[in-house]
Amino acid sequence: MASQPVLDLPIIEKFGPHRNYSNGLLLESGVEPDKLVKTHCCFCGMQCGIQLKVKDDQVIGFEPWEEFPFNQGMLCPKGVKRYLQGAHPDRLLKAYQRDPDAPAGFRVLAYEDAIQRVAEEIQKVQTTYGPDSFAVFGGASLTTEKAYLLGKFARMGLKTSNIDYNGRLCMVSAAAANKKAFGIDRAANPWADILKAEVIWIAGANIAECFPILTNYIWQARENGAKIIVVDPRITPIARTCDLFLPVKPGRDIALFNGILHLMIEKDWLDHDFIANHTVGFAAVAEHVKEWTPRRTAEVTGIAEGSIRKAAQWWGTAKSSFLMHARGIEHHTHGVQNCLGAINIVLASGRIGREGCGYATITGQGNGQGGREHGQKCDQLPGGRDIENPEHRVHAAKVWGISPDELPRAGVDVYEMFQRIERGEIRGLLNICFNPVVSLPHNAYIKWMLERLKFFVTIDFFMSETARYADIVLPGSLHEEDEGIVTTAEGRVVKINAAVSCPGDARQDWRIIQDIARALGREKGFTFANPREIFEELRVASAGGIADYSGITYEKIEKEMGVFWPCPSEDHPGTPRLFEPGSSNPIAKGNGPFYFPDGKARFNVAPYTPPAEDVDDEFPVILTTGRVVSQYLSGTQTRRIGPLVDQYPEPLIEMHPQLADRHYIKDGDWVRIEGRRGICTLRAKIVTTIRPDTIFVPYHWGGGKSINQVTIAAQDPISKIPEYKVCAVRILRQYGPPANATGLEPQQ
Amino acid sequence: MSKEKLKANIWAFVVTAILARLITLGSGNLDRFDAALVGYTFATLFAAFGITRRYALWLQRPPTAMYWTRGWKVFFLLLHPRHIVSNLFRFFQRLFVHYAFNDFIWRRGRMRWLAHWYIMWGCVIAGGITFPLVFGWVHFASEPDNLEWYRVRLFGYPTVAFPIRSLVGFLTFHGLVWSSILVIIGVLLALRRRLHDHGAAALQEFGEDILPLFLLFAISVTGLMLTASYTWMKGYGYDFLAILHALTVIFTLLWLPFGKFFHIFQRSATVGVAFYQDVGKQGEQAKCRRCGEEFASRMHVEDLITVEQQLGYHYEMPDSPVEHYQWICPRCRRVLLGLAQGQLWSGVRDQESGIS
Amino acid sequence: MYLPNQNEFFIDPARCIGCEACVQACSECDTHKGHAMIHLEHVDRGQSTQTVPVVCMHCESPTCAEVCPADAIKKTDDGVVQSARKPRCVACNNCVLACPFGVPKMITDFELMMKCDLCYDRTSAGKKPMCASVCPSGALYFGPRAQIEQLRPRSTPVNKFQFGRQTVATKVHMMAPKGPAKAQYVDVTDAMNETGRGQRISLDILSTMYVSEEQP
Repeated sequence: MASQPVLDLPIIEKFGPHRNYSNGLLLESGVEPDKLVKTHCCFCGMQCGIQLKVKDDQVIGFEPWEEFPFNQGMLCPKGVKRYLQGAHPDRLLKAYQRDPDAPAGFRVLAYEDAIQRVAEEIQKVQTTYGPDSFAVFGGASLTTEKAYLLGKFARMGLKTSNIDYNGRLCMVSAAAANKKAFGIDRAANPWADILKAEVIWIAGANIAECFPILTNYIWQARENGAKIIVVDPRITPIARTCDLFLPVKPGRDIALFNGILHLMIEKDWLDHDFIANHTVGFAAVAEHVKEWTPRRTAEVTGIAEGSIRKAAQWWGTAKSSFLMHARGIEHHTHGVQNCLGAINIVLASGRIGREGCGYATITGQGNGQGGREHGQKCDQLPGGRDIENPEHRVHAAKVWGISPDELPRAGVDVYEMFQRIERGEIRGLLNICFNPVVSLPHNAYIKWMLERLKFFVTIDFFMSETARYADIVLPGSLHEEDEGIVTTAEGRVVKINAAVSCPGDARQDWRIIQDIARALGREKGFTFANPREIFEELRVASAGGIADYSGITYEKIEKEMGVFWPCPSEDHPGTPRLFEPGSSNPIAKGNGPFYFPDGKARFNVAPYTPPAEDVDDEFPVILTTGRVVSQYLSGTQTRRIGPLVDQYPEPLIEMHPQLADRHYIKDGDWVRIEGRRGICTLRAKIVTTIRPDTIFVPYHWGGGKSINQVTIAAQDPISKIPEYKVCAVRILRQYGPPANATGLEPQQ
Repeated sequence: MSKEKLKANIWAFVVTAILARLITLGSGNLDRFDAALVGYTFATLFAAFGITRRYALWLQRPPTAMYWTRGWKVFFLLLHPRHIVSNLFRFFQRLFVHYAFNDFIWRRGRMRWLAHWYIMWGCVIAGGITFPLVFGWVHFASEPDNLEWYRVRLFGYPTVAFPIRSLVGFLTFHGLVWSSILVIIGVLLALRRRLHDHGAAALQEFGEDILPLFLLFAISVTGLMLTASYTWMKGYGYDFLAILHALTVIFTLLWLPFGKFFHIFQRSATVGVAFYQDVGKQGEQAKCRRCGEEFASRMHVEDLITVEQQLGYHYEMPDSPVEHYQWICPRCRRVLLGLAQGQLWSGVRDQESGIS
Repeated sequence: MYLPNQNEFFIDPARCIGCEACVQACSECDTHKGHAMIHLEHVDRGQSTQTVPVVCMHCESPTCAEVCPADAIKKTDDGVVQSARKPRCVACNNCVLACPFGVPKMITDFELMMKCDLCYDRTSAGKKPMCASVCPSGALYFGPRAQIEQLRPRSTPVNKFQFGRQTVATKVHMMAPKGPAKAQYVDVTDAMNETGRGQRISLDILSTMYVSEEQP
C-alpha cells in the first residue's frame, strides 16, 4: 500500500520543504573551524572542488579550494549555500513508517525494526511473485561505491533484473550515441581543451545556469580568439554575447546537424584522411544528408538560412574546435539521433582526439558519469560491461563469488518499470536518490503507479515528494556524511570526503543497503566495513572493462587532484583525452583509437523525425523545460536552502511578448498551461529572449507547480529518455492564482 | 587661521567660559568646591573646549552644515501647533528607543548590544554622579538636627534627604561602584568580540577601537580599587591609587574630543536626520530621470546637489535633459555602468555576429 | 595594511551570466557576514539576459565619504573605502544617493550604511574577496595585473569613469577593449540612451503558428 497516508499539507507542515537560513554559529564572524575538509560540491556534474568549514561536527560554511584545477575556487550559488542542507530542520533523523492515523501520516520507527520490516516485505513480495517483482531505483548523485553496491545488491542480494536509475532522465541519449559512434561513453576531452579551440559549438546547453563554471572556459577561449556558436530556443546568458546564435525550434536539432554536414560536404570542408582511416559509414550518411539543403534545414529548424551557412562555414573551416551538448538535444524521442548528428559533424571534421579538438556531452548529475558505469543501469555490469555479454557475466560473477547463471538478465528502464508496475509484474520497490514524482514526465501516472505497489521503501535524507508515498522511509546520508568517489562530466575521478557524522538514526546509504541484506539473510558479499573496501572490489570488478578503474586509488586521486579513467594500472597516468592516435584500448587492441575491434569510429545515419507531440491547432504552443541556476533537479535539497529559494522562488513561464500579446497576458499574470495530460498554472514572465512559438518552464518544483504534470512520457526508442524538451500545449490567461498557490510557501 | 577654525575657536571659548562660570556659580564661588578635584575640573574644561571646537568645525563641513540648517528649519516646521503633539510624542519615543534602549544596536547583534548597553549606562551613571559633584553643583550635607540623615543640596539649595544607613544611602554612595561594574562587564564583552570576530580584527585600529576600551577599563578598575582600599584594606595605597585613578580619568577627558568617544556628542544628530527624513517623505519625491521611479525626496536630492557643488564635484550634465547625475537613481547608475562597458565592446564584438 | 602580491580587482560585466554566486558568497565574508554587499542587476530582463555585478569601485576621492555629514566613511592606507563606522553613521542616506556607482546600501534596521569593503578580513590577509573567488564567469577577477593582461589579450583595464563633467578615478578596474577602440575612460553618462547589447530574437513566426485562427 504505497499511497500518501494523508494530504500534502500536513506532511509539508512536518517534513517540509522548509527554508533553512544561516543563524547562530553560522552567522558568527569569529568562528575558528575545527577543520577544513577538501571535497566536492554535492550538485552537478562539474564537481567543483570546495572546502567545507566544520565546527562541532557541523558544516558551518565553505572556503574556496583554489588549488583544485577544474574550478580554482569558483563556485555557483548552489555550491556556495550547499552547507545549509546540513543541520536542517527537515532532516530525517529517524526511520518512519506510513501511518494514516499519525498527525503527519508517518510515525517514528526504531531503525532496526524498520530494516526488519523492509526485509520481511521484500521476502513476502518475492516469495509470492518471484524475484523480479521487487525493483530497485538508484540515482546518479550516489557515490560510485554506492551505485556499485546497489547494482550488486539488486543482482546478487535480491536476484532481480529490475534495477535502473535516474540517469535515465539525464544523458542516456548521449551515452547511447557515444557507444554507437565511439564504442565508449565518456566525454572525449577534458574541459581544458575548450581553451584551445577556435570554434566552440554549444548545442542545447544552458551553460551559464546548469554548468556555470564552464562559462569561464568558454570566455577564456574567446579571449584566445575562439568563435562561439550557440544553438538554443532561448537567448541564455551565454547566448547573449555569443558570436553566432541559432534559435532552433525545439526538437529540430538533428535537422540542423544534417544541414551543416550537407554544407560541409558541398563545400568540401572535410577531413578526408581522417574519414578514410578512422571511420566507417560516411558514404551512407553523406547520401542521407543530401536532402538537407540549407533551405530545407532553415524551414525545419526555424533558423535563418544565412546563419546556417555561416555556422557551417565557421565549423567547416576551423582548425580546432569543441562541440558540446547537454539535455537540450538529449531530452527527445530522437535524442540519440540528435547526438549522432552532432557526432557526425565532429567526425567529418576529423577534429577529435587531439589537443583543442574535442567533443563532450555535459553530464548533468554529480556522479552522472561514474553512476552510469558500474552497474545500477538495467543492462550493465561494473566497468561498463554488458549484462547480456557472456564473458562480461563471467567476469562479474567471479568477482562476486557466484555462478554466472545466478546473475539476472537485463532489466528495463525506469519508465518501463512503471509500466511493469501497472501490469502487476513489479509489486515492491526500493528507491534511493531519486524523486520520480517530481522528475518524471506525466507525473500523475507516476503517482498512480506508486499507489499500486504492495510495498515501497525509500532511503532519503529529506522527505521528498516521492518519499511521501513510501511505506517505510529510511534515513540516509547527506553528501558530507560519507566518503567515496565520483566521476565528473569530463571523466575525472575525484574523491568525496566525509566532513561530519550522520546525525540521529541516519546511516550511510551503503550501510543501510548492507543492513537490509543482512536482515534478508543474504549478507554474503555485503560485509564491507567502509567505502574504501567497496572501492577496492570495484577496482577489480572494473578491471579490463571499458570503464577501467583498476589503476585508481584513493591516494592517487588526492595526490593528483583526480584521475581520468580509463586507468588500467597503478602506474598508468589516467586518460584525460580519449581517442589520441596510438592510444590503446581493450577493445581495439591497437587497431585504432576508437573502442571497436577495428579501432574506427562509426558514422550513423541520423534521420529527422518530428517530436512525438507536435503542435497543432488545438495545442499550438511548444512547451520546453529546463533549469534555473539556483535550483537543482527535483529541488529536494535546493528548495530547502533559503537563500537559493529567494533567488528564484517559484517557477515562471517564460514567453515572448508576441505570444503574450495574442493572449492578452501581461508580465506577472497567472497563466494556465493546458496539455493533453495535465495542466499547470503559473505566473508569466514576458521576455524577448525566447522563440515566440515556445514557452519555457523550469522543472524543479513538485505538486501543482510541477511542469511535469504537462510534459510527455514519450521515450527515445534507444535510450528510453523521455521527451522533456518538447510537447504541445495551449495557454490561457487566468484572473487569479490557482487553488494550490494559496497556503503554500514558494518552495513547497 | 581659516574662517572655519576661527569660528570654532570662538565657540569653544564661549562654551568653556560658560561652563567655568557655571562651576563657580554652582559651587558658591568655589565655597563648596573640593580642591582635590581641581585636576578633574581643568581636564573637563579642556574637554569642553576640544569637543565644542571639533563640533563647530564638524558643523561647518558642507554636508553637515546642510543638515544643521535643514535640521533647524525642519524643527520649527515640526513645532507647528498642528503637528507638535505627535512630533513631541515621536521625539520622546525616539529618545527612549534609540538612546536609552539602543534598538538599532540590538538588531545589529545581541552581544554587541549588551556590551554597548553596559558601557553606555555605566558611563551615563558615572558621569551623572561625578560631574555635578566635581563642579560642586551637588553635595551632601548631614542634617543639622539629625546626623543620621543626609540632605542632597543642588546648587546649594536643599532638596531630598535620606538616612545614611539605608538601602538608598548604600546605593547612592556606591553609585560609582555600580557604574564601574557595568563598564567592566561591557568592556570585557566588547574586547571579547574584538578578539574573536574576524571582521572586527581586520578593521579595528588601536587608537580608535582598543584604546577607548582600555581607558574605560582603567578608570573603572582603579576606581574600584579605591573603594576596596578604604573599605577593606584600611586605606592601603590609597594616595597612589587616587593619583592613578585621576590620571586615567584626566587622560580620558582629554581624549574625549579626538577619538571614538566623540560619537557620544555626534549621535545627537540622528534626531535631526530622522525628522529631516520624515519631512522629506511627506514632501515631493525625486523621480529618476532614466527609469521614472521615485527614489528619494526632492529636497534631499537638491540639497545633495548643492553640497556636491560646495565640495567641488561636477556631476552636472549640461547637454542632457538629466541636468545632474544626482537625478539618476542608484539602481540605474549600476545598470548604466554595465551598459557603458557593453557599449565600448559593441564595436569590437558585434561585427562578428551572423544573425540575420 | 597592504595588498600582498599587488593583487588588484578587475571587473568585466560583459562576462557576467547573472548567476548570483557573488551575491550568495558575499554574505559569507566575515566583515559583513549575513549581508550581501555586492549588487547584481538585470539591465532589463524583459529584453535581455544582460546583468551587471557592481562592487565598490573604491574611488581615489570617494564622493560617499565627502558627502557624509558624520565623517563616518574612511579609506584605509591601501585605498579601500570602508563601510560606515558604526558609532558615527547617522543613517542619513547621503552616501547611498551620492555614490556615482550606486554602491552603498542603507541597512534600515541597523541605522547603518554598509557597503562592499573588498572583504577586508580576507584581502588584508592575502586572500581573494569572496565574490571574485567564486565568480564562475571571470566577470569579477582579483589578481596581479600581469596575470590578467596575459589571460585577456583583447582587453585593457581602465579605472576612470566619466559622469557628466566629473571624472572619477578608482582603485577597481573595468575591462575595456584594446586596440584602436581603446577608451581612456568609461563614459557612463554616455550610455543614458543605451538599451543593452547582445543577440536578439526577432522572428515573426507566429503568423504561421496561428494560421487557422487568423483566417477571417
